[in-house]
Amino acid sequence: MTESIYTVTIRSIYISSIAALIAFMSSIALSTIISRLSRKYVEIVSSVFEALVGVPTTVIGLLVYMLLFPKGPLGALKLIYTPYAIIIGEFLVAFPMAYTYMFRHYYTRREKIRELVLSLGCTEKPVFKLLLRELTPILLSAYLVSFSRAMGELGVALIVGGGIEGYTNVLTTAIAIQTSLGNYEYAIQLGLILVSITVSLVVVLKLLGERVLWRLD
Amino acid sequence: MEIRLEDVWFTYDGASYVLKNINLELANPGLYILIGPNGSGKTTLLKIISLILKPSKGRILVNGVDYWGLSDESRQIELKSRIVYVHDKPILLRGSVEYNLKLGLKLRGDLRVDESLVEYYIDRYMLREILDKPASKLSSGQAKTISILRALILNPEIIALDEPFTFLDASRTSLLIQDLARIASNGSIVIIATHYIHRELKPHIKQVVELINGEISNI
Ligand SMILES: Nc1ncnc2c1ncn2[C@@H]1O[C@H](COP(=O)(O)OP(=O)(O)O)[C@@H](O)[C@H]1O
Ligand SMILES: [Mg+2]
Repeated sequence: MTESIYTVTIRSIYISSIAALIAFMSSIALSTIISRLSRKYVEIVSSVFEALVGVPTTVIGLLVYMLLFPKGPLGALKLIYTPYAIIIGEFLVAFPMAYTYMFRHYYTRREKIRELVLSLGCTEKPVFKLLLRELTPILLSAYLVSFSRAMGELGVALIVGGGIEGYTNVLTTAIAIQTSLGNYEYAIQLGLILVSITVSLVVVLKLLGERVLWRLD
Repeated sequence: MEIRLEDVWFTYDGASYVLKNINLELANPGLYILIGPNGSGKTTLLKIISLILKPSKGRILVNGVDYWGLSDESRQIELKSRIVYVHDKPILLRGSVEYNLKLGLKLRGDLRVDESLVEYYIDRYMLREILDKPASKLSSGQAKTISILRALILNPEIIALDEPFTFLDASRTSLLIQDLARIASNGSIVIIATHYIHRELKPHIKQVVELINGEISNI
């Protein structure tokens, strides 16, 4: 008995949106810290994160597995083969992406906004709030890019989630497992859902951006 | 209000000094001109006068108080709020022209907002029709105008303008010169960095400061 497409989809969205949210918040926090450092450190951190974007998700899955498996350092938490394990892994997959996506904008705009605020006779206090407002479209895309990346990755979900039906099965693991079972029609449906979710998000964002965000007063 | 630079030196990179041994006094209201070739340090000096950059060496006395030596932060905030600077390349934020124009007022939560002054500038520079336009869609001249007026409506006691006339057409240049002259004669210190002194500006000038290679050459 295979699980309904509906529950797999909902579970996928749930897990990936949480992982992407944590990656997103961490990226803002890290950008804030890094943008205060000297240029040298800014460059170092940026290169490291750019390199991390390319790490295969299976390698990240393996890493998280080593941490969480029963005899591993965090084995006592009993997280392996739970949705939480996938969230942790997908967070690691999405974080470098979210950070790389937003940092350049964050850095250059922060400097400009800081200059502007100071030039108007204010202290630096309103800089962060203005910056978030200024970067709203960028931040939204950064979130969606991380979300798509988390939704679409297989390595982590399979290695630390295990694709357990009714529990850790997500769209990508379901596609892999059903294909190997020869259940092609079902796998193709899952694939179409996965693609249409990520594509429609991008389209919605674009429309929203043009209609609303860019005009925000 | 008065401001005095004592033996001010400034370096961006810690290696070479962009400003050397600057002594300058802006003690009386009026229109001051800071002139000098490209790269002579005009922008840097204006940012130091506007309390945006901290001198590497030397002191800045605002109303006789050593600003960067102040430990009383609220006193610093109070002094700083009376001095504004206008960038040579306008910095506008995402949002409407009106949002940008009133940004300074909003940030400072100014209680003594002079709405009639805002309206005066909106009409005088014919901005009424573009108030709702996204600031990103403005021409260079319009953007420059908005960034200058955003500072003028704060009614500052000291206003430093960096190359304010670049991008402005002849009619707006004339309007602005009249406004700056009026502000200066009403008791503010207006200091303008420029590489060339506009003809219409000449009758209003109180003093010209020439900067060459980071040093003041004559006062
Ligand atoms: N942010 C900066 N970092 C390093 N050097 C700078 C920076 N801004 C200006 N400089 C250097 O300082 C010198 C003076 O620049 P500036 O004050 O902009 O001169 P001006 O406004 O008269 O053209 C120039 O040699 C310029 O290259
Ligand atoms: Mg300059």
